[in-house]
Amino acid sequence: MPSSERLVALTLAWAVAGAALAQETPPARAPAHKTSLDQAPAHKTSLESAPAHWLERMNQALTTRNYDGTFSHWHGGRVEMLRIIHRVQDGTVSERLASLDGSGREFIRAGASLTCYLPDKRTVLVEQRPPEESLVGFPAVNDQSASFYDIREGTRTRLNRRDTHVITVSPKDEYRYGYRLWIDDSTAMPLKTQLCDRRGHVIEQIVFASLTLPAHIPDSAFRPEVSTAGFQWLRNESAPPAPTAATLAWNAMRLPPGFRMTARSAQTLPGSADPVDHLVFTDGLASVSVFVEPQRREHADQPAVPESAAVGSSSAFSTVIDGHKITAVGEVPPDTVRFIASQLKAEELPAVSSRRH
Amino acid sequence: MNEELDSQLSAMFDDELAPEQCELLARRLSRDEQLKARWGRYAVIGAAIRSERGVRLNAPLAGRVSAVLLAEPALVTTPGARPTAVRWWQPLAGAAVAAGVAVGCVLWLRAQNPLAGAPLSAHLTAATVSVPSAPVVPAAAAGAAESYVVPRTPAVRAMVPSTELANYVVAHSVFSSPVARRNLLSAFMTSESGTAAEEPPDEPAVHAQ
Repeated sequence: MPSSERLVALTLAWAVAGAALAQETPPARAPAHKTSLDQAPAHKTSLESAPAHWLERMNQALTTRNYDGTFSHWHGGRVEMLRIIHRVQDGTVSERLASLDGSGREFIRAGASLTCYLPDKRTVLVEQRPPEESLVGFPAVNDQSASFYDIREGTRTRLNRRDTHVITVSPKDEYRYGYRLWIDDSTAMPLKTQLCDRRGHVIEQIVFASLTLPAHIPDSAFRPEVSTAGFQWLRNESAPPAPTAATLAWNAMRLPPGFRMTARSAQTLPGSADPVDHLVFTDGLASVSVFVEPQRREHADQPAVPESAAVGSSSAFSTVIDGHKITAVGEVPPDTVRFIASQLKAEELPAVSSRRH
Repeated sequence: MNEELDSQLSAMFDDELAPEQCELLARRLSRDEQLKARWGRYAVIGAAIRSERGVRLNAPLAGRVSAVLLAEPALVTTPGARPTAVRWWQPLAGAAVAAGVAVGCVLWLRAQNPLAGAPLSAHLTAATVSVPSAPVVPAAAAGAAESYVVPRTPAVRAMVPSTELANYVVAHSVFSSPVARRNLLSAFMTSESGTAAEEPPDEPAVHAQ
C-alpha cells in the first residue's frame, strides 16, 4: 500500500469500523436493489465550480435521493455510529435515523408523521406535522446567506476513494456556525461534514463509513428495532387551536443580523394539551425555532430562571416573558438563541392560526 | 496489545483484512474502550499532520510524526496508556494525546474557548479534541504556531434531554437545513451515550509519550 494511502486509511479507521458494523444489520433491512456510489450517475453542470451551487446540489441530494448510510457522529469528544435511511417515494419522504451504539434511540419520519423512540425514557413521541411541511421548510442558500457567510470552495480532494468538492462556509460574525463539507463529485452527497465555530474550530463532525443509493428501499427498513412494550406514547393528535377574534402575536423586537422570521404556526406538541406558538427565524443557512406557551399555573409564582441547554452543537434557551415560557432552539451558538428568545414581545393582533412569511 | 491484534489492525487500515475478520475486529472495537481510544489517538495524529484548522501542529514535529507513521510497517503500540476516571459530563480529551507514537514526540495541547467572554460560556465544559477523518494534506507551512489547538465544545449543559426538549428538537428539525437537521437529530440520538474518554487535562495541557 502506498505510504500516503496508509495515512488516509489510518484516519479513516472509524469509517472502516463503521462499515463493518453496518454489516451486522439484519439482511431484511438491506435494500433490494443497491446502487453503490460508484455506480451512481454523474451530474455535471456548467455551474459546478460555484460553491453555493454545490450547497444547493447537496441539499437537493439529501432531500430527494434514496440513501442508506452508516456514519460516525463526533461531538464533545464522543463518537457514536448511527445509521440513516432516507427514501422519497411517490412524493412522500420516509427517514429513519438510529443510534447503533448505545442509546437505542430512533427517529422515524413517515411523511408528515415524526416518531421519536426514547427507550431510556420508555417513551415514544409522535408528532403530526402539517402536510405542506413534509418536503419543504428548510432554509435555502441565497444572496442573503452570502452576506453573512463566506462560501468558498477549497482544494478538491479524495475521501473514501471518492472525488469530493470541499466547500467551506465561514460565518462573518459570532451569531452563527460554519461548515466544511466534503461533497461527492458525482452524487452531491456530503460524505463528511464539519460544523465549525467562527474561528474554524471543529465542534461537530459527521463522516460516512458506508453509503449506498438504492433504487428501492422496502418499507421494512423504516420499522424501529425498539420494542415498545410498556412504553408511554405521547401524541399531538389534537387539531391546532382554532383562530379566535384576537390573540397575542409574538414577534422579535430585534434579531441578529441577517435573521428574519420565515414561518409561524400554532400547534400542540405531543403530550401537551396547551397550544404552542412556533416561530421560525433563519438567515438562509441556520435556523432557530422559538416556542411560546403560557406559563403553567403551578410555576406562575416561581421566579423566572432562564435555562440553557445543548443538544450536540445546537443550543436551547428558555426564559419567561409576560407570563409565557419562551424557548429558542437552533443550530446556532448559545448567545444567538438567548438573544432571539430575550427579544420576543407580544402584540395583540387579529389571529391567524397558521401562516408563512 | 498483542502482535496478532496489531497485525489485524494494520491489515484493516490497509483494507486487506478479510471481511469476516474485519467484522470481528469491528465488534471488538465497539466494546474495547482502550482500543477505541487508540483509534482516536491515531485520528488526532492524522488531523495534526494534516494541519486541519483548529488542529495545528508545528511543521517539523508534524514531519517527524509523519515519518514515523510512514516508516512503520505496522502501527506502533504504546502499552500503559490507561484512561483515567471520567466524569460523565466531561468530554473526551485523552484521545488527543499522541501516546501511540513512540518517538518521544510531545503534543502541546492548549484549550481555547471559542466563545470566551460570552455570558453563557460560564458553564462551558472542558477542552475536547476533534477526531477528524480526512485525506492527507501536507503539513502546515513554516511559521505555524507551535501548538496543537484543541477547540472547546460550547456545550452549556450536557443535560439529559427532557421530553419537552425532545418535542422542541423534533419540531424544530423540520425547519433546519438538511445538514443541520442531521447534526441536530444525530446529537439528540446520542446525547446520553457515546464513547467516553479520558478527562481533559488542565490548561495548558501537556502530554508526552
